[in-house]
Amino acid sequence: MYRKEVNERSPLRVFERSIHGGLGRGNLGVIISRAGIGKTAFLVDIALDDLMRDRKVLHVAINDSVEQVRRFYDEVFVELAKITGLEEVDEVRLSVERNRHIHSYKDVSFSVDRLVAVARFLKEHAEFAIDALMIDNFPFASATEKEIASIKELAGELDCEVWLTALSRRDMEKGAGGYPDPVAPFDALLSVKIYLESRTGAIRLRLLKDHENENLADLMLDLDPTTLLVKDRQEAS
Amino acid sequence: MTPAGGGNGKMSHQISNVRNIGISAHIDSGKTTLTERILYYTNRIHDIHDVNGKDGVGAKMDSMELERERGITIQSASTYCEWKGHHVNIIDTPGHVDFTIEVERALRVLDGAVLVLCSVAGVQSQSITVDRQMKRYNVPRIAFVNKCDRSGANPIRVCRQLREKLGHNAVMLQLPIGLESDHAGVIDLVTMKAYYFEGEKGEVIREDAIPPSMAAEAEEARETMLDAVSLFSEELTEAILEGSITEELIHDAIRAGTINLDLTPVLCGSAYKNKGVQKLLDAVVRYLPSPTEIRNEAISLDLPEEIHVVTNQPDDPVLALAFKLEDGPYGQLTYIRIYQGTIRKSDTLINSRTRKKTRIGRLVRMHADEMEEIETAAGGDIVALFGVDCASGDTFFSPGFEFSMTSMHVPDPVISLSVKPKDRKAQDNLSKALARFVREDPTFIAETDPESGETIISGMGELHLDVYIERMRREYNAEVVTGQPQVAYRETITVQAPFNYTHKKQTGGSGQFGRVEGYLHPVPDEEFTFKSEVKGGNIPTEYIGACEKGFRSMIDEGLLVGFPVVGLGVVLNDGASHSVDSSDAAFQAACRGAFRETYSKAKPILLEPVMNVSLEGPSEFQGEMLRTVMQRRGIVIGTTDERDFVRVDSEVPLSEMFGYATTLRSATQGKAEFTMEFSRYAPVPKEIAAERIEEIRKARNEKEGRNVS
Repeated sequence: MYRKEVNERSPLRVFERSIHGGLGRGNLGVIISRAGIGKTAFLVDIALDDLMRDRKVLHVAINDSVEQVRRFYDEVFVELAKITGLEEVDEVRLSVERNRHIHSYKDVSFSVDRLVAVARFLKEHAEFAIDALMIDNFPFASATEKEIASIKELAGELDCEVWLTALSRRDMEKGAGGYPDPVAPFDALLSVKIYLESRTGAIRLRLLKDHENENLADLMLDLDPTTLLVKDRQEAS
Repeated sequence: MTPAGGGNGKMSHQISNVRNIGISAHIDSGKTTLTERILYYTNRIHDIHDVNGKDGVGAKMDSMELERERGITIQSASTYCEWKGHHVNIIDTPGHVDFTIEVERALRVLDGAVLVLCSVAGVQSQSITVDRQMKRYNVPRIAFVNKCDRSGANPIRVCRQLREKLGHNAVMLQLPIGLESDHAGVIDLVTMKAYYFEGEKGEVIREDAIPPSMAAEAEEARETMLDAVSLFSEELTEAILEGSITEELIHDAIRAGTINLDLTPVLCGSAYKNKGVQKLLDAVVRYLPSPTEIRNEAISLDLPEEIHVVTNQPDDPVLALAFKLEDGPYGQLTYIRIYQGTIRKSDTLINSRTRKKTRIGRLVRMHADEMEEIETAAGGDIVALFGVDCASGDTFFSPGFEFSMTSMHVPDPVISLSVKPKDRKAQDNLSKALARFVREDPTFIAETDPESGETIISGMGELHLDVYIERMRREYNAEVVTGQPQVAYRETITVQAPFNYTHKKQTGGSGQFGRVEGYLHPVPDEEFTFKSEVKGGNIPTEYIGACEKGFRSMIDEGLLVGFPVVGLGVVLNDGASHSVDSSDAAFQAACRGAFRETYSKAKPILLEPVMNVSLEGPSEFQGEMLRTVMQRRGIVIGTTDERDFVRVDSEVPLSEMFGYATTLRSATQGKAEFTMEFSRYAPVPKEIAAERIEEIRKARNEKEGRNVS
């Protein structure tokens, strides 16, 4: 299979249809789950889907080193190439790496101001116009509304989609649909909220918020528990 | 002081009191200055000189002129000293990545190391590379945070970096008393005393009570230290609970943790200002292992699976490893580490590689470029032999005890260039120089190009080759003209392609006949695979080997541009033979024919070596750093925020890295630095490949044209 076909047949298209054509540039989306469910893997899936369509991705790692994140991408990529029988693997990988920039805050504390500076810098000085910004392990617990607003502003300024991951804990206050919601205070600034939970043989993805869409009852998908790739509807049912 | 084992030829030291250590560090951490101070305090030298010395004498360990000029250490000279009844052999290790084989060789024979770090710059990219090598050879380490007198010094931050960046369980055993220009001494958290280094050259140590202003900080640091080290000793844990801690118990626990590589004790001071060096020596003999506490293995020459754990016993048969050769003013000097047995003058030993008998003429103990003759040396020690013919990495053993020390990891060279002597005299000298360098350094290769007759030298990087060219000129008086550096390209195929080839020849006498059928296919990560699926004896079994040989003979020179082929799989699934005319030669010819006919159908491409390049520099130069990488077809993998510094990880084709050091220096006002390591072979992008292939072909044609004319 060639890269184009891999994209067209990507289960992420199903996911995009579920959220009305995707997150959309200038918007913020959050992936929420308990520890160890696969937030990062799902984030990398979304990023790879962008990368394989020649879109540029800035991946911000808050607790992991560049090397760790890179290994994560490599593993998911190899798996994806294997399942889809991707051809010209080396060339595709090269273009994926060219379109991706990992920025790590492993040894220093993360600051939104620094992040904004880095993103602007990449655009202005490194010819790296970001299409999607992935922020893994965003510290929602200590975040202020002003910080989230700065990120939203950045998304508008760079005209990119922003995905963040948030950690939930059992003892957290329950939000919409009875799920723990660590990002509730920032709802007004977030366009899409997804909750990942573990089910037998699959990871279930539930939409907690989908732009202005009020009817969220049916919006759920199952993900393959090892690759975290979305299973086709038929396959899932 | 009588140097152990020297002069009278008697081994005055117990093996448990021997320490074989390396001093390993980033290039500007002050390693050579530290070594110099160690030799001074142990009475091995009687005055102190600086590395970049104004007095023209230079530090003792940098014995090569070139090193003296550049202020860096290239060759790992060995020396020794005595400290409080212990015999310490010191191998000075180089601090540049292009010379990693030197570092690795030194690490192979070390039992422990002092990792020197700059208290301002902290853990830099180079320290990370060196640390990775030490991990590979399981070398226990203690860290010395040097340059506490410098502005911006912060040893506690460096200790934290050791934990965060290198993953060490690093624990401060000392606190600095004053930093920058106020740096006066150290607080020892084991004895809970302050130590000041006084006298003209810091040789007088004054013990005093901890300054009251630091008492609380010291108490807290001691608690942290005790928490960490008590993990390695139940006795200490009990003593802490009972309130009966002794210094001895703490030392024992630190030692246990260090030797198991579970703990890195951190000391601090300033070698240049003569602070803390003697306390570091105490730590070396206290916490680093003796040869008997390290497991070293030898492999049987006849049965590779048979392992012998070396005994260090003086009465056992000899096992010794030649880890370094040096061409001194008095002939070839071979540094050896003795793993067991006793070597005496005029003994006969066997070289494991050549199996030749070697008579030990002179046995010496080296001190940079001076030496002392000795009569005997025993297991655990590091000494040098004179006039012995061998290569670096050879093992010597007693007749009948046929073991070899584990071979060292030798990477393939990635860069080459041609060298041409300027005149007749230089020609002879060049030959001598090359013969010597090849023996000294297994990553340095010299060969003659069969087509052009030119001499080609290959190595691990541009600087690696530069140093040898300098040495040709300086040490051997061989002036050479060098060609453009060439990268070691490879070829590989990308798609499966079938073949069906008949080799038939009838020119009177016995004919030749062989038909082979099958396919070529890409096998990434392998060099060459061959599989026969021929059924029913269509190709008789006795010719299958010839078929493999036929294909294999073609991979040294691919048909795209003539570089070695990698990742080639051959599957043979049918064929035909003739009862009279088929032969080994006929099938080999058939396979060569099949390869020639099919190779281009398998869409061959050019592969080039790609290097991992890590840059580190002040944040304000981030843009320049990224630009230098991108201008060189590099891929920026990522960036890491490190307070005022930024680290850029990238992959850059080696062919684009020539002259990079200069570019980076001028782009960042000399404030950024980089390290480079071979990563993998990757396809040359299509648009560049066509151009590159054209260039290579053109250069080759020109060369051939020249040879013909």
